[in-house]
Amino acid sequence: MTAKTVKCPKCKNEITVTGNPGEKTQIICPKCSSKGTFTFPQENSEPKTTTDSFTIEVRNLTKKYNNFKAVDDVSFSVKSGEIFGFLGPNGAGKTTTIKSMLGLIYANSGEIKINGFDIKKRSKDAKKYVGYLPEKVAFYDNLTALQNMYFYAEMKNIPKEECRPLIEEMGIGDAVNKKVGKFSKGMQQRLGMARALLGNPPILILDEPSGGLDPRGVALIRNKIREMKDKGSTVFVSSHILAEVQEVCDRVGIIDKGVLVAEDSVSKLSVKLNLKPKLIIELEKISEKIVESVKKVKGVEKVEAIGVMIHITCNQKAKSKIIISVEKAGGDIVNIQTKEPSLEEVFMRFTEG
Amino acid sequence: MELNIIFSIAKKEILDNVRNKWIIILTIIFASLTLVVSYFGSIFSQGWQDFGVTISGMMSLVQFLIPIIGLMLGYAAIIGEIEKGSMNSLLSLPADRLEILLGKFFGLGGILSFTTFIGFGVAGIIIAANVSGVNYADYLIFIGSTILLGLVFLSLALFFSTLFKKRSTAMGGAILLWFLFNMILPIVFIGVMVANISFESIASGGFPDWYFTLELFNPLSVYSALISLNVGPVSTMQGALSISYPSFYSSGLMVLILIAWIVVSLILAFWRFDKRDI
Repeated sequence: MTAKTVKCPKCKNEITVTGNPGEKTQIICPKCSSKGTFTFPQENSEPKTTTDSFTIEVRNLTKKYNNFKAVDDVSFSVKSGEIFGFLGPNGAGKTTTIKSMLGLIYANSGEIKINGFDIKKRSKDAKKYVGYLPEKVAFYDNLTALQNMYFYAEMKNIPKEECRPLIEEMGIGDAVNKKVGKFSKGMQQRLGMARALLGNPPILILDEPSGGLDPRGVALIRNKIREMKDKGSTVFVSSHILAEVQEVCDRVGIIDKGVLVAEDSVSKLSVKLNLKPKLIIELEKISEKIVESVKKVKGVEKVEAIGVMIHITCNQKAKSKIIISVEKAGGDIVNIQTKEPSLEEVFMRFTEG
Repeated sequence: MELNIIFSIAKKEILDNVRNKWIIILTIIFASLTLVVSYFGSIFSQGWQDFGVTISGMMSLVQFLIPIIGLMLGYAAIIGEIEKGSMNSLLSLPADRLEILLGKFFGLGGILSFTTFIGFGVAGIIIAANVSGVNYADYLIFIGSTILLGLVFLSLALFFSTLFKKRSTAMGGAILLWFLFNMILPIVFIGVMVANISFESIASGGFPDWYFTLELFNPLSVYSALISLNVGPVSTMQGALSISYPSFYSSGLMVLILIAWIVVSLILAFWRFDKRDI
């Protein structure tokens, strides 16, 4: 599946369409309602479709540096159109895995397929589908943001006209003619994201995309990731900001000391770990009687009284019974909050010790 | 292999050197050195000298300067980008390592060739306007051979750029290489000859053939031989110094050796670059 941007011949509005090479699709311009047909260009190298709908497949990947195994027999798959979060503590093997996926480093063993192309044998074909934001974003400092983007557009065989709007979309339109050497870390990160988005790649690989960004920048990147998913792209995002990943990812993989310790959706991983939600009840006045009545409710695991708040760890079904027991014990409820198991808890449990 | 990728990288290298004024600086250096050598270089007469005398005077200067320029242009081409991090992005594009290496070679080689041709060319035009009976072929052979020599050192620098893990080490390697060909090898070769043959036999019969065979391993000597074999006045000057090349020395062989240096260095550079983790 590829994404293409086409221009309405009548009103010049840009429309992004997704489809397979050779496929014909009907387009109606949302601006001027003109109708047209677009045929996706045939790829010279005919992308192979894998047996299922996985866009990224990593099988038994191992990378050693001398005797140290940076990545040890890692296997995972990313489905077409999903956002996959790749998590792990510092030095866990995230960047090594990503660099292996792009053929930047050579694995000692294992197989990696991008859109069906083996990265070892058909590296160029595989990379045609990828937009990449490296952990350490670097540009040519002597060139302006636009000159840098023009160079990458030329290398990817993408029209130069795409460059300026992308820079503007990333919020650095004012610096379009400024030399990148004078950019802050955050500005470089934004430009790096613009570079990754060049040509609407069907696969986005982002290594720590929030690094060096202010909260506005973090939100911008998050929205871009969602937007790309809506356009049909597959997004592979490595991050240590767990809240960010939890908010956007369909599934996560957790790597620790080079070993993939978990791969699933956050909710399923919580169930596997038997992580329970937390109920926080704020009362007008707290008493020993209320706390004791909560402890007696079936399904309650832990009760903590902090000021006028009671923090209760319990299973899902116990929540309503707890509220009833508090009221029966004479408690005057001011506020109730529920906290579902977070990715942080999942991450900490999988990477502890 | 896609030619447009090679072209894009080569174009960027050329534009970078246009932007940072290297092209202008090198052209001016080449032109002014040639003019200075032509006008002030002869101890026998004053004023403008013809191409033959100018080339004779320029040869040692070129052997000193061109390797430095070739090495400085190329030593950081690959390792500089790896160290900075921009190679990650470049290799994540649909470009392979051979295309990147060739793009760098053609781009930097283009700068070296252009500056040599224009710098020496402009000086040549000025000299030709001031002397009579100029031999343009001699001068074009000199320019062509100089370009070839520059490309040899550029490709060696590209190999060093893939061989070392740090830019600073690659630079150290390049400096060592310059010393090797400019100082160490000539001294070693002469030393070996003096140790084996008496001074009288050298004076009477010239240098032995095996010495000239050893000399073929130094691209600077090959360059020097190529000019001497083709440019009349330089040959005459060498004859006066009783240096006569053996029969197997030919222009074709010299050109072939210089091209072999370029090709082998590029093959080695690709072999190292292709094996390397970025």
